[in-house]
Amino acid sequence: MSTHNVTVVERPRRNLWVQSYLPEVAKGLAITSRQFFKNLLTGSDIQTVQYPEVKRDYPLRYRGLHRLTYRDDGQVRCVACMCCSTICPANCIHITAAEHEDTSIEKYPAEFVIDELRCIVCGLCVEACPCDAIRMDSGIHAHPFYERDKAFLNKDYLLDLGGPSTAVQGGVLGSRSAR
Amino acid sequence: MPTLTINGKEITVDPGTTVLRAAAMLGIDIPHFCYHPALSVPANCRMCLVEIEKARKLEPSCYAKVGEGMVVHTESPKVIAARRAVLEFILVNHPVDCPICDQAGECKLQDYYVAYDSQPSRVAVPKVGKAKAYPIGPRVVFDGERCILCTRCVRFCDEITGTSELTVAERGDHSEIRTFPGKELDNPYSMNVTDICPVGALTTRDFRFKCRVWLMSSTDSICTGCAKGCNVHLEHFQGEAQRYRPRFNPEVNEYWMCDAGRMSYLELHADRLPSLRVLEDSELSWPRAARKVAALLGEKATGEGVAFVASAQSSCEGLMAGREFVRTMLDDAPVFWTGRPDGDGDAFLIRADKNPNRAGLAGIFGVEVLAQDAHRLLQELERGAIRVLYMMDSTLPFTSDEMKRFRAAVEKLELFVLQAPRRGGLDDLADVLLPSTTHAEQDGSFVNEDGLLQSFWAAYRPRTQALADWEVFVRLARGADRELSFSDFESLHGALHAEQGAAQDAGE
Ligand code: SF4
Ligand code: SF4
Ligand code: SF4
Ligand code: SF4
Ligand code: FES
Repeated sequence: MSTHNVTVVERPRRNLWVQSYLPEVAKGLAITSRQFFKNLLTGSDIQTVQYPEVKRDYPLRYRGLHRLTYRDDGQVRCVACMCCSTICPANCIHITAAEHEDTSIEKYPAEFVIDELRCIVCGLCVEACPCDAIRMDSGIHAHPFYERDKAFLNKDYLLDLGGPSTAVQGGVLGSRSAR
Repeated sequence: MPTLTINGKEITVDPGTTVLRAAAMLGIDIPHFCYHPALSVPANCRMCLVEIEKARKLEPSCYAKVGEGMVVHTESPKVIAARRAVLEFILVNHPVDCPICDQAGECKLQDYYVAYDSQPSRVAVPKVGKAKAYPIGPRVVFDGERCILCTRCVRFCDEITGTSELTVAERGDHSEIRTFPGKELDNPYSMNVTDICPVGALTTRDFRFKCRVWLMSSTDSICTGCAKGCNVHLEHFQGEAQRYRPRFNPEVNEYWMCDAGRMSYLELHADRLPSLRVLEDSELSWPRAARKVAALLGEKATGEGVAFVASAQSSCEGLMAGREFVRTMLDDAPVFWTGRPDGDGDAFLIRADKNPNRAGLAGIFGVEVLAQDAHRLLQELERGAIRVLYMMDSTLPFTSDEMKRFRAAVEKLELFVLQAPRRGGLDDLADVLLPSTTHAEQDGSFVNEDGLLQSFWAAYRPRTQALADWEVFVRLARGADRELSFSDFESLHGALHAEQGAAQDAGE
């Protein structure tokens, strides 16, 4: 035979005062109105922002929409090496390489499309790029699209979001101390 | 026979063997750039230095011959330090433009850098600039900055083709590969230099920026450019052939292939038959089409006036199945053959016969069939002796004039069945279109001019409704409720081998 450890809780006894709920409703209304007027008049306690008029600053390493950086002369920095499209686990970067007439550039992307709907925002493309050509620090988070093909961000769009790269083409001569 | 010890392992080799080859026999890979098994040994890159006990200094293993009792170390600290130094020296003026280099991913310099060097550059002076993206020949692009001056390309043109277009010009760090004045790198085998160049200094114009090498899959295949049947790697990405590369076979092509053959991969996707069609009906599945075609053949392909055209472009398996198809479904109709017309040949690889399987065709249908070529067929057609024509390929050896005559004759036929991978300018005339696969989309084999039976394997699936030739025949027979003596590739391939073996035994 086993013993059962049972605690018997007595039901609270509710009188008419409690049963009518009215005092509690009044109490709740009082708190809400107090907060309402406090926010309306002083605004000191508001936790939310008026998005999209007001936006929060994202941290520096926040991964937002991709951008393509450009060279000093404004041309796309990307050389269509396909490192980003190779590493991309979502397989959402599509690049067509072409020959550049300037032999010191040689190769550039004639097309560069990112399907932002498939992108899982992992940032591996940025890690993989040997040329600092693709970044996700635009600070713009992926927004909703009404049509699927609007989510295919092309080279022009990505370049518009871009800026010059901070890296120096070909590295800085003598920047590494001899060891 | 000298016995030596390499990295603690003993091996006995023929006298005169180099240390590098002896190590390779033991499965020890010694890094090297300038050494190539088919070329002379200049020992100029110094990448293959190894430590030989009792020798005063490190020796180039590609050149040093084995000796009795030699003790060799290929991975000792001294050797590793030497490799690192050689790599650093090579990289002094190297542009490190791997991101735009087509060789990236299959580059020896990249591999060895990662394996042995992996240090940042210590050079603080500007690099020496050289030719970039220079068209050194019509099919080859040269980049002087990436060149490590191993001279493999120079030796190839001197020793293999004997055309001697290339040389090393200038001195010191200005040394550069150039063509002799007034010459360009233009010989029928010029693209082989892009395979032997260990870096991305020589790349093909065709493959330029087309696909990254690490994305491609590779399937062992056979070049269909001529009767030599050079062994190739067929490299493809997302169901599309990207290039051919020669595959080593000492009995056929060694390390090489010709430029025309290399470019013949382009035909794999060109001019393909899109879908099945039987008379007006083009929305068909294979089983329905097979029943309809079988009915048509049963009605028309009996008695006199039926002809079958076998192709020297088709696989042996397809031809074997075709032979049985003629017996069971076409009332033993007379067989003609077609293929590409003969062209120029040379004493090295290129054969005048531009068909990969003429020998296989002759073996399967009997040599007599070779007398019945497409020109005979044209005569018979124009004589009105043929009512029903079944062709298992659309390749024809005709001039444009003959083609006009052929088209005119074919138009009068009662029934024209075309089973082919390509339109070949005949699809509009055919009553029945049966798309078949190229050799890249099926397993099979060819017999080359020297009688060697060589297999190839399916690299990717066809994008159309195409089926392998043998499968088309099996399906058509089933459509008429008949069975051929085989129903899968294995039994067919086995039968082919048995037949070939018997033929060879009889020949010996
Ligand atoms: S963030 Fe990740 S998923 Fe998105 S494009 Fe880059 S690699 Fe692909
Ligand atoms: S990794 Fe960088 S340089 Fe390479 S293709 Fe992507 S964005 Fe362009
Ligand atoms: S071009 Fe290539 S094969 Fe020729 S010397 Fe330079 S590295 Fe060697
Ligand atoms: S020699 Fe003939 S088989 Fe060899 S690569 Fe050239 S065309 Fe192809
Ligand atoms: S491979 Fe031996 S010196 Fe180049």
